[in-house]
Amino acid sequence: MGFDMFKKILFATSATGASDHAARVAFNIARSYQSHLNIFHVMGIPSRGYSQVVVDVKTKEHVDVDEDYLAWVTEDIKTYYEKYLDESLDYSIDVAVGLPAREILRQAKNLKPDLILLGGSTGDEDESVYKKSSVGSTLQKVAKSANCPVLVVNRPAASFWGGLSNIVFGTDFSKTSDKAFDFAIKVAKALDCELSVFHALDITALHAGKMLSQDEIEQQIRESLRKIRARYEPRLKELKGYSMDVWEGIPFIEIVKYARDKHADLLIMAHHSRRAVSEDIRLGGNVEQVIVRAGCPVISINK
Amino acid sequence: MKKKILVIDDDLNIRDYLVSLFNDNGYDAYVAGDVKEGFNVAKKNKPDLITLDIELPGEWGPRFYRQLSQDPELKNIPVIVISGLSGHQYAVVNAVASFTKPFDRDELLKIVKETLI
Repeated sequence: MGFDMFKKILFATSATGASDHAARVAFNIARSYQSHLNIFHVMGIPSRGYSQVVVDVKTKEHVDVDEDYLAWVTEDIKTYYEKYLDESLDYSIDVAVGLPAREILRQAKNLKPDLILLGGSTGDEDESVYKKSSVGSTLQKVAKSANCPVLVVNRPAASFWGGLSNIVFGTDFSKTSDKAFDFAIKVAKALDCELSVFHALDITALHAGKMLSQDEIEQQIRESLRKIRARYEPRLKELKGYSMDVWEGIPFIEIVKYARDKHADLLIMAHHSRRAVSEDIRLGGNVEQVIVRAGCPVISINK
Repeated sequence: MKKKILVIDDDLNIRDYLVSLFNDNGYDAYVAGDVKEGFNVAKKNKPDLITLDIELPGEWGPRFYRQLSQDPELKNIPVIVISGLSGHQYAVVNAVASFTKPFDRDELLKIVKETLI
């Protein structure tokens, strides 16, 4: 298929069960769109300063890193993904040592991928090395700072990917959202997808202390819909199908519900990089919440 | 009249096992090996319940469910997911239940019975 939006994909993986659902999506996308897949593994964190002794992410042992060890880890990753790797797949494997977020961003800078693909924060044990050694999560930092769209598969349920036909784009009418819309419409057009534009009317934070009447809520829904029409509809008309909706509620819950309702294969949202990285992803912003909860892969775009 | 169950699975062993299990318990069973065939069989026979595998050749189970839920004639047919993949429990959001292979036959029959009252 002639699709050049995901020509090069950087798949950052722990090569353990925690990345399995992301792997399913990564290999599926690479195969569907004939992408080059760079399988990137940050194998451990230096135990002291710039010491060559690192804590291996997979085995949690203290190991000396030398050429042999790196070759062994690369071979191990190859074995781990054996069932996906064959001659028809264009892939490479790289291994690095360091703090995962920083190394992933460094790799992205060198490789200039069209997409970074990350497994989610599953909270299971093989992530504990990452968690202990870095403030906030790898995922948040990468999503916040990457120069390209970042696709996250967090829940296993988000990984049953059978191609793209329904995309949901969530907007908050910000400038970053407009960038994310550009990306969404390009993907939708190239892959002949239906695109649903959605805005969640936040009835919790904005009006704290004051209960809006349903008339007021519905008035605001109308206004938001008019805004969506004015801002996005001229370009939506280029697609085979589209819809525009506004629901009121807690934004991240409504977006996840809306995507489920639309049977979305992909959710696209802006990531607001001006906000500080929070310590815990579960307390993070709206996009983080959507990433954690969505039933399909989520692409966030920060610039 | 006997209730009809459609089994969508590409694994012949599972298919045969489920068909005999359902037949032995007084149901009529139909089979399909992929999403397209499943949809055609569902259209033709209007089953009362569908068991759905997740990983199927070509399109996957969740896609079948999407098609099903958009068809006015079929959208209310209950679906039970039966899959060997890990983490599939919520792959089909409105499924009646999810079973991981190998599954407990009595548990499955209990849910089928409850659903088909």
